[in-house]
Amino acid sequence: MGKRNCVLILSSEDEDCSNVRSSSSTRSYTKTKSKSTSTSSRGRKRPRASASRSNLSKLHEIDLFGDDFNEVFTGSKVSAGAHRRCADDLWIDKYKPLSLEELAVHKKKVEEVKTWFEERLKPLKGIYTNNVLIVSGQAGVGKSAAIHVIASHLGAVVCGWNTPTPVIWQEHLYNSGTGMKYTSKLDEFESFVERVRKYGLLLTSHTWESKPSSILLIDDLPLTNGKYAFGRLKDCLHLLVNSTQIPTAILFTDYGNADSADYNARCLDELKLSLESSGACKVAFNPITVNTMKKILHRICQMELCDVTAEDVDLIAKSSGGDIRHAITSLQFFCLKPNLGHSLAPSTCYPGALKDESDKPVISDDGYSLHFGRDETLSLFHALGKFLHNKRETGVATEYDHDGFLMRERLSRLPLKMDVPEKILCQAHVQPGPVADFLHENVLDFLNDEAIDDASTLSSYLGDADILLAKHRGMLSSYNEAESVLLSAAASIAVRGVLFGNSQPLSSRWHAIRRPKLWQVEKASLYKNEVDRLRIPACKRFSSYHMSIVTTEYMPMLKLLGNRGCGGGFHDPSQESLLNLEIEDFDFDKMDLDEQSRETSDDDIEDW
Amino acid sequence: MSSSSSSSSNAYDVPWVEKYRPNKVADIVGNEDAVSRLQVIARDGNLPNLILSGPPGTGKTTSILALAHELLGPNYKEAVLELNASDDRGIDVVRNKIKMFAQKRVTLPPGRHKIVILDEADSMTTGAQQALRRTMEIYSNSTRFALACNTSAKIIEPIQSRCAIVRFLRLSDQEILGRLMVVVQAEKVTYVPEGLEAIIFTADGDMRQALNNLQATYSGFQFVNQANVFKVCDQPHPLHVKNIVRNVIEGKFDEACSGLKQLYDLGYSPTDIITTLFRIIKNYDMAEYLKLEFMKETGFAHMRICDGVGSYLQMCGLLAKLSLVRETAKAV
Repeated sequence: MGKRNCVLILSSEDEDCSNVRSSSSTRSYTKTKSKSTSTSSRGRKRPRASASRSNLSKLHEIDLFGDDFNEVFTGSKVSAGAHRRCADDLWIDKYKPLSLEELAVHKKKVEEVKTWFEERLKPLKGIYTNNVLIVSGQAGVGKSAAIHVIASHLGAVVCGWNTPTPVIWQEHLYNSGTGMKYTSKLDEFESFVERVRKYGLLLTSHTWESKPSSILLIDDLPLTNGKYAFGRLKDCLHLLVNSTQIPTAILFTDYGNADSADYNARCLDELKLSLESSGACKVAFNPITVNTMKKILHRICQMELCDVTAEDVDLIAKSSGGDIRHAITSLQFFCLKPNLGHSLAPSTCYPGALKDESDKPVISDDGYSLHFGRDETLSLFHALGKFLHNKRETGVATEYDHDGFLMRERLSRLPLKMDVPEKILCQAHVQPGPVADFLHENVLDFLNDEAIDDASTLSSYLGDADILLAKHRGMLSSYNEAESVLLSAAASIAVRGVLFGNSQPLSSRWHAIRRPKLWQVEKASLYKNEVDRLRIPACKRFSSYHMSIVTTEYMPMLKLLGNRGCGGGFHDPSQESLLNLEIEDFDFDKMDLDEQSRETSDDDIEDW
Repeated sequence: MSSSSSSSSNAYDVPWVEKYRPNKVADIVGNEDAVSRLQVIARDGNLPNLILSGPPGTGKTTSILALAHELLGPNYKEAVLELNASDDRGIDVVRNKIKMFAQKRVTLPPGRHKIVILDEADSMTTGAQQALRRTMEIYSNSTRFALACNTSAKIIEPIQSRCAIVRFLRLSDQEILGRLMVVVQAEKVTYVPEGLEAIIFTADGDMRQALNNLQATYSGFQFVNQANVFKVCDQPHPLHVKNIVRNVIEGKFDEACSGLKQLYDLGYSPTDIITTLFRIIKNYDMAEYLKLEFMKETGFAHMRICDGVGSYLQMCGLLAKLSLVRETAKAV
């Protein structure tokens, strides 16, 4: 193993590098080190990996990426003194989990997946009819990381489909004289699946060892457009489920609360269902809990020797919305502390060195601005808290007159104890639609019990805001100027309406802010429409069901419901409320169930 | 602005937006927090994958380009792939061009990576974004991505998950003013302070627009004052609109109406008038109830105008409604 030596030598060079760095903090030394640095950084990447594991991790890396960047040993350096930022890796790669314990995924789920693979990898394997596991979950919860770690734990090799670089259509046209055929990504995927089904995986690179068992990981399903292509993909995967001999994991990314009307997302859902029905197992990963996330982020902070306060870590963990990958990326970005004043100090902060730095961007005292985070709801919550608590100047009602204009007492309010609402909204980086929804859901908690008049004023303002928003429901705001005026007007009305309407704010006490139930209802109704549409062809089969009834009564009603779901156009207000009632009735039990099941699963996670 | 370019011929060569586009991350105006972090990256390398999101004209593209220049210096040409909405960015281009670029070998100093800049990334189709997802991961040790977009919500979740999101805010008036002064001095523009104020008002936190308006005014009239700015930018004069609002609040309905008539006769479209009106109301210092109601009525009027009812009558009706609100609010 010559390479191992090589790495060790380089590590001493690293020490030099650190010395140079701390003395001058310039990067001029980098020129002197030529190509070797890249190898050394590779070596540094996994400082804690024991030598015994190195083989495995090497195997799976090569197989997955098939890339010559990775032809270097990844984990042979046993102890690498101080661990510094000098390494130019993304932290996500640098702190990839290496053992089962390091995985952020809930233990039960890991165990579940592990036993599944164990059973299928046993040398004397029983006859399993299905060899396909569907792993689903939000983006960044560690689906593929879990598979990799489990595979290396079981001593198996992970193989994936590496898409070949395709030919651009224009290029193909240019080449068409040579008789080459155009193959789409779907074609290639199909032929890959075909090969896997028939011949298994041919591992050419591991002749020097007894052949390890292998796991197939399909992460990158080809995108399909249109029914025909989708049908092909479905058939192809169906065949895979039925006949593959190798344990296979297919990863599906769930799209959370984004627009569920998106065609692709729905396709994936359908695909998942069809796979399940053809016999594949399914494991769903939940978003990572805040506590787990904090633990991991703290560990990384320690290893990077960067000084981040617990609150900041807390914030990052919370604002990432259960997405560990994003949390780590954010942390990396956040740790880039600008210390412009003294150029002598290296950029990696020594613990305690910057403790007194007061310009923490996140905790600016008044305007709460969070510059990172995938989930916009956290900054939204802070803004909402301000609006709902409605803090005002106390004491004497200072005569609030502008240009000698006296307000009626009923309509005058004490000055606000906060910035202009528009400014707060702008700092919170939120879209007007969600703001109105959240306010609508939560505002009643903050009203006095007797203040029914306030409630009515409030609701009328929220209703007005909703009318202004109606056109834009379902689509995300674009920067068309005319539209942006409408949107900002709607947001202002909703917020100011809430501020104004709540004439006797309660003394501030703690309230949880809930997610709008309305969203759930809308999603459910959308889903229901889909189901209904499927039901119609089924109805045709019953001869007793007269066709004319279907067309005259059923279809128009469906259309009516469908209209609402898509949020298109206006309705008579009376009609709308009627529909509203009806839909809520319909889905009530279903929603309850949903909530219950979610609660239990939440508990599941919280308790470990 | 069709005047024969007799004065300064070189002013026509480059738009000032380009001429004064900062080349260094440190020179970027506003959003200090984000920019200072980018500065650290520019110095130390190891750029993480980034999404810069924010309203137009706040320096997203400028910061990425400056960052790329500072990071790569002489290697910029070969180590940066820049695609924006005007380039073909369909799914096959993403698959082919970006992947080819990611596989390309460029000798760079350690800590430096090839950079793929995707400007206006929110206009990419979901399919193309999906195709980007794996590429981003596989080549992360040699290639980093920087995406700029207006709303980060339009980027699909898997991509968001792989990037650090940097949010840009609208620039404050002081920040824009500071930069304008630099340009004004460098170009030896003759101006009065009110003129710059007007430019800042029309720009509304958008640096690009501020510079464009400044240049347009200067090359049109050689002098930046309020009247010239509003002539060039062709917006209803805010002072005029402000007068209308004040008249309404003071109960002088007739004056308000005649003010509106004047504006209308000048040929401004109802959309222009109402957009300015809304902004004036937003910043006008008045009682809370009045402001809320005024905003509501203006919003509704705006909606009707957008629906196609852009008549003079509609505008007068709005003023009447505002007056009515004022009547209900007034203490007897």
